[in-house]
Amino acid sequence: MGHWRHSITLRLSLAFALLATLVFAALGAYLSRSADAHMAELDAHELLGKLALARHVGSNEPTPDALAARLGDALIGEHGVLVAVDGEKGAIFKWPDSSLASQLAAAAGATGPVGETPVRLTLAGRDYRVVAGNLQTGWGETARVVVGRDIRHHTDFLDQLQRDFWLALLAAALLTVVIGILIARHGMHPVRAIAQTAGQISAGQLAARIPEADVPPELAELVTAFNAMLGRLEESFQRLSDFSADLAHELRTPIHTLRMQTEVSLAKPRSDDEYRDLLASNLEEYERLSRMIADMLFLAKAENGLIVPQRETIPLLALGRQLFDYYGILADSQQLVLEGEELSVRGDRLMLQRAIGNLLLNAIQHTPAEGRVALSVREHDGAAVITVSNSGPAIPEAALRTIFERFIRADPSGEGSGLGLAIAKSIVIAHGGSIAASSSGQLTEFAVTLPLAAPQTGAG
Amino acid sequence: MKILIVEDEAKTGDYLKQGLSEAGFTADLVRNGLDGMHEGLSGGHDLLILDVNLPGLDGWQVLKALRAAGRELPVLFLTARDQVEDRVKGLELGADDYLVKPFAFSELLARVRTLLRRGRVREAETLALADLELDVLKRRATRAGKRIDLTAKEFALLELFLRRPGEVLSRSFIASQVWDMNFDSDTNVVEVAIRRLRAKIDDDFTPKLIHTLRGMGYVMEIR
Repeated sequence: MGHWRHSITLRLSLAFALLATLVFAALGAYLSRSADAHMAELDAHELLGKLALARHVGSNEPTPDALAARLGDALIGEHGVLVAVDGEKGAIFKWPDSSLASQLAAAAGATGPVGETPVRLTLAGRDYRVVAGNLQTGWGETARVVVGRDIRHHTDFLDQLQRDFWLALLAAALLTVVIGILIARHGMHPVRAIAQTAGQISAGQLAARIPEADVPPELAELVTAFNAMLGRLEESFQRLSDFSADLAHELRTPIHTLRMQTEVSLAKPRSDDEYRDLLASNLEEYERLSRMIADMLFLAKAENGLIVPQRETIPLLALGRQLFDYYGILADSQQLVLEGEELSVRGDRLMLQRAIGNLLLNAIQHTPAEGRVALSVREHDGAAVITVSNSGPAIPEAALRTIFERFIRADPSGEGSGLGLAIAKSIVIAHGGSIAASSSGQLTEFAVTLPLAAPQTGAG
Repeated sequence: MKILIVEDEAKTGDYLKQGLSEAGFTADLVRNGLDGMHEGLSGGHDLLILDVNLPGLDGWQVLKALRAAGRELPVLFLTARDQVEDRVKGLELGADDYLVKPFAFSELLARVRTLLRRGRVREAETLALADLELDVLKRRATRAGKRIDLTAKEFALLELFLRRPGEVLSRSFIASQVWDMNFDSDTNVVEVAIRRLRAKIDDDFTPKLIHTLRGMGYVMEIR
């Protein structure tokens, strides 16, 4: 039943039909009631007319027979009207001259006080409206006049009207369903068009978009969201294929080297020393390869938000001092400066060591002899800012934009995996911080902003 | 020293056994968790090298069973996945150290020696090799009777070598022991530091004590 429950077309058309039926039914009920009321009014008018006629004609006749004769004359040609005039000593007049009129009078008497407001009665299987009143006869008697009207033709008419109406209603409802289906289908057309476009998009065609111009406003939001999703998909797909391409490219070189030197060495017998040399050289390449793979894995995890830093309190100046101890060995003639105030952040010691270490190594490697490398720690807007700066030729604007991307090296043939800054960035981001690079004149600066650790309270 | 290796990967296991044997240890190799547990319970080994991913009984279960039976031998576990949870789990279960594959064999050897040494030998206060002498307490180094000035880190580096004569020390092991830099970085900091240390203790003397093993690291010994 899932299909039935979820088909918008069907639901819409059933809703249309239900609405139409309700409106028609309400309208029908109203019309039928007002027709009924109108008929009742006509009947009342006629009955009261007859009552007035009986009073007018009957009040001046001297004898019961004369009265009956006058009334009989006045009523000639009337069908469906019953009139009974009863005196104190019995029936004076009946119209038509049958027991029906007496039965009506008896029935009217039985139902209680009937006056000049019409009352409905059923007599011998027929419906009547009845009024009654008194008549002062010429001979000084108060007679009772009962006037009845057979309303069968009215009820027949109303019944017929209702039958016709319900048939029309049924037909209208069915028609509404059909038209509703057509309307809904038509209304759903843009949705189907979207679905068709979406269905045609495969991994290779993520650049496709649903044209937003042709879409009705109601669907514009959906289409915009869908296109945005496609955009994000395309971006991550692009990242993924870039990642594979980068990886393949970067792995090819060392593997090519390994293969070449192994092949050449095996081509003829060599001395033990030469074999030892080969194996050692291979080992160096293996080491580089496994480091690269580990770094790439780290970056892949970082891009997918899988890097979860262990949190401990890390004093930044102390960290800087430790890094200076280590990387400072590489600085021959460059001047190393550690400055600023001691600030602490919450973070993963190993990761932060690695991130700032990479920045520092990068700075030392790009500082000319006699240049200056500085690491400063300062507070700015409630955050810790670690700046690693070095003197030296400025990095061009274009290179600065891609400096944190994988496998971007300042010197294409240079040492290093080209992953150091990318890793630094992903670590900083995993710690909820930000990193920026700027370069102008003779100064290149990398600034890392990290949330400050909450000040230690209590135990201190 | 008897070492038990539990490793299901054929080549890795064989080379671990060969490498450890050639480094002077008695190495037993089993290839699944169940055998590992039996050997570990009965074999009288001094150290266990345990792969985490094993068919049948995995490394964690073996470790649990051994600790539950009261076997307190040091355990070094090997894992292919560098997941923090893995490391934490292993250490919580009572392992003493871990290595993430791929690792340098010299690294493994260094860890094994550290674990075997732990709590066994009181660290000596004076160290010597040939005519090189180091007084750890007074922070003084002499060679052939001549006083050598060393920076704090140079002293730590020399002490590391002297405490492990004849052991191959990888660059990352040295970086982690001397500078507390615990990630593999692609730099020649250690090379430069060793070059400077050599200039002070080896260049003007014979025999040379610090030797480079290409691709593997450095060793201090009399050759």
